[in-house]
Amino acid sequence: MADLQDELHTTPEVGELDDLPDPFDAYTLVSDPDAAPLERAHAILAAHPVADGYSGLPWALRHLPWYDLEDGESAVDTDVPRLREGHVGALLWSLHLPEGLAADRAVGATLEQLDLVRSVIGAHPDGLRLARSAGQVIDARNCGRVAVLLGPAAAAAVDDSVSILRVLHSLGLRVLTLTGTSWASEAGLTRFGEEVVREMNRLGVLADLSGASEATIRRVLALSKAPAMCTRSAARALRPHPANLPDELLAELGAAKGLCLVPLTAEQTGPTVRDVADHLDHVREVAGPQCVGLSGTYDSGAAHPQDLADASCYPRLIAELLRRGWSEPDVALIAWGNVQRVLRTADFTAKAAQQRREPSTARIADLDG
Amino acid sequence: MTSVDEARELLREFPVVDGHNDLPWALREQVRYDLDARDIAASQSAHLHTDLPRLREGGVGAQYWSVYVRADLPDAVPATLEQIDCVRQLIARYPTDLRGALTAADMEEARAEGRIASLMGAEGGHSIANSLGTLRGLYGLGVRYMTLTHNDNVAWADSATDTPAVGGLSAFGREVVREMNRLGMLVDLSHVAATTMRDALGATSAPVIFSHSSSRAVCDHPRNIPDDVLERLPGNGGVAMVTFVPKFVLQAAVDWTARADDNMRAHGFHHLDTTAEAMKVHRAFEERDPRPVATVSTVADHLDHMREVAGVDHLGIGGDYDGTAFTPDGLNDVSGYPNLIAELLDRGWSKSDLAKLTWRNAVRVLGAAEDVARDLQATRAPSRATIESLDG
Repeated sequence: MADLQDELHTTPEVGELDDLPDPFDAYTLVSDPDAAPLERAHAILAAHPVADGYSGLPWALRHLPWYDLEDGESAVDTDVPRLREGHVGALLWSLHLPEGLAADRAVGATLEQLDLVRSVIGAHPDGLRLARSAGQVIDARNCGRVAVLLGPAAAAAVDDSVSILRVLHSLGLRVLTLTGTSWASEAGLTRFGEEVVREMNRLGVLADLSGASEATIRRVLALSKAPAMCTRSAARALRPHPANLPDELLAELGAAKGLCLVPLTAEQTGPTVRDVADHLDHVREVAGPQCVGLSGTYDSGAAHPQDLADASCYPRLIAELLRRGWSEPDVALIAWGNVQRVLRTADFTAKAAQQRREPSTARIADLDG
Repeated sequence: MTSVDEARELLREFPVVDGHNDLPWALREQVRYDLDARDIAASQSAHLHTDLPRLREGGVGAQYWSVYVRADLPDAVPATLEQIDCVRQLIARYPTDLRGALTAADMEEARAEGRIASLMGAEGGHSIANSLGTLRGLYGLGVRYMTLTHNDNVAWADSATDTPAVGGLSAFGREVVREMNRLGMLVDLSHVAATTMRDALGATSAPVIFSHSSSRAVCDHPRNIPDDVLERLPGNGGVAMVTFVPKFVLQAAVDWTARADDNMRAHGFHHLDTTAEAMKVHRAFEERDPRPVATVSTVADHLDHMREVAGVDHLGIGGDYDGTAFTPDGLNDVSGYPNLIAELLDRGWSKSDLAKLTWRNAVRVLGAAEDVARDLQATRAPSRATIESLDG
């Protein structure tokens, strides 16, 4: 038996269990390979819906005097009928605040956004359900509801305080964008910024690195115990937009098992469905099929590619990918599986970290002087 | 059996619900929330009025921890959230002594378990920055009362200790009260002007509280409650929680405080400054002009009068520990409540009256606010009013 000892067991990655089969090893086809691509897209998405990484809906609803998402709402790009048509199973609702809102109002404005989100979800109980964890996303889906996850919020929303980060997390915040503060700037993370990332790991708040500086991205990828994500980044090799990632960073994000959610915007990805598909091809190739996802970016004020005007249009994009020869498992990953993996890993990491770490009491004045 | 022994026995069954304790702010100011540096499981009598052994000794069964922040901060909301986090850390850290509580039922469960129900109250409308969304956020985080103002006016309500501006509550102020009713957050009328008290009693559909205020007829200080307002409590169902702060309850202390504040200002300090230098100036003054001392009996005088005017079903206790520099003799810290109960026993208060004073009234009022909220939520959506839309 001694030979069995020759190879030491490697520690399994967080979230992966030793003896459980990878569900995608045993992927069961759900579409007819000979059917038309659009028909196949619908069939695949019915089983593996879209987890959309960025929706600007809360801010868009904020100033509408009256709206009904359940019956359909033409004033916005997103409503329950179109989410159903587009096979959207989960949405990240952005709590980003408009540019120029005074920093010392950011916390209050974020609380107001959270309040609005809760009242919107409460007003649409047949369509929407608030989800705080990967498990609750699945629960919502099993109940036929679209799961709504809260975030990303801008780093300014925590006002340089790990206490406020904890409070916002208790209200449901799951994603924080690490840019635009003294502790996550062009120069990268400060010591306090690193402590914020550790506390995010302890709570299960994901780091969003879209728009973050290269230095911040690299430091977070090295430091974070949970995978990081870019909620709105495409390939800079194809389109030079500041939030798009150069190949080098895409490869590093892939190596860290992070997630690049490609936005469906004319500005970042291009004016046609084919342009978006080009980005998805490229990111998949550089970062890997497990590290790419979709970010509708609807209701954020951005212009969308032709034929991808609202939340109902995902099947067209998936059909284009199938035409390009994407396999069904890869389509299932890009739509749903990858986001689920990242959420689940973050939940798992948080549980582990809570055994090990007390809530942080770090103060920016002590660490960054 | 002495009266104090009898009081302790009584408190074992019906412990004190205290309406206001500023431990979180003291932890912020003294050690910047470093809970290791002020471990309240051990005696902190050198630094604080409050720690767990003394809360136990005092027969405290429920505490509204104040998540007060100073009104002169540029934005009070972030600081309020930090205060809330502090209370949560305390509850998580001392699970055998403290139990987080959001409802009257939680308070009863905590009593049955022998733990101290820990609730939160926000002290001053500045903590919501003129936003009903933020008010709902605080409710969602567990805040169960809000004092409408602190020492300064807010844009929609006059404070007792500021120059009248609105003349009570503005239209938005009344909407704040209605939204608090809808949520089930108690409207706290300590600190507000008498005009605001009367407006709020007119606007509210739920019982109100005074988390820490005494009687103005006994001691004429603006922080106390006038008789015409106390008389309205039976109709409203609310509770006035008597406070111990000497400079509000003892006329000689009121006058002395005015002299002491003048002295601080003459030396260029804010009158509430508690830095070492300011305290040095203050101590020098105190040597020249000794501080009048309030006693248990001073507080009992207030309760006797308030019972006469409002009735025994509308009384409670709000010590304001760690929110005041001085405390009465015999009520020096949170271990002192049995002395007050003993004094009232000696004055002929019945056990059932004392059970109402310490426990039953305060629990009833929170439950009543929950009932009103349940009714209102069936018919009313969250208010989308803004201060601009209502007050112009």
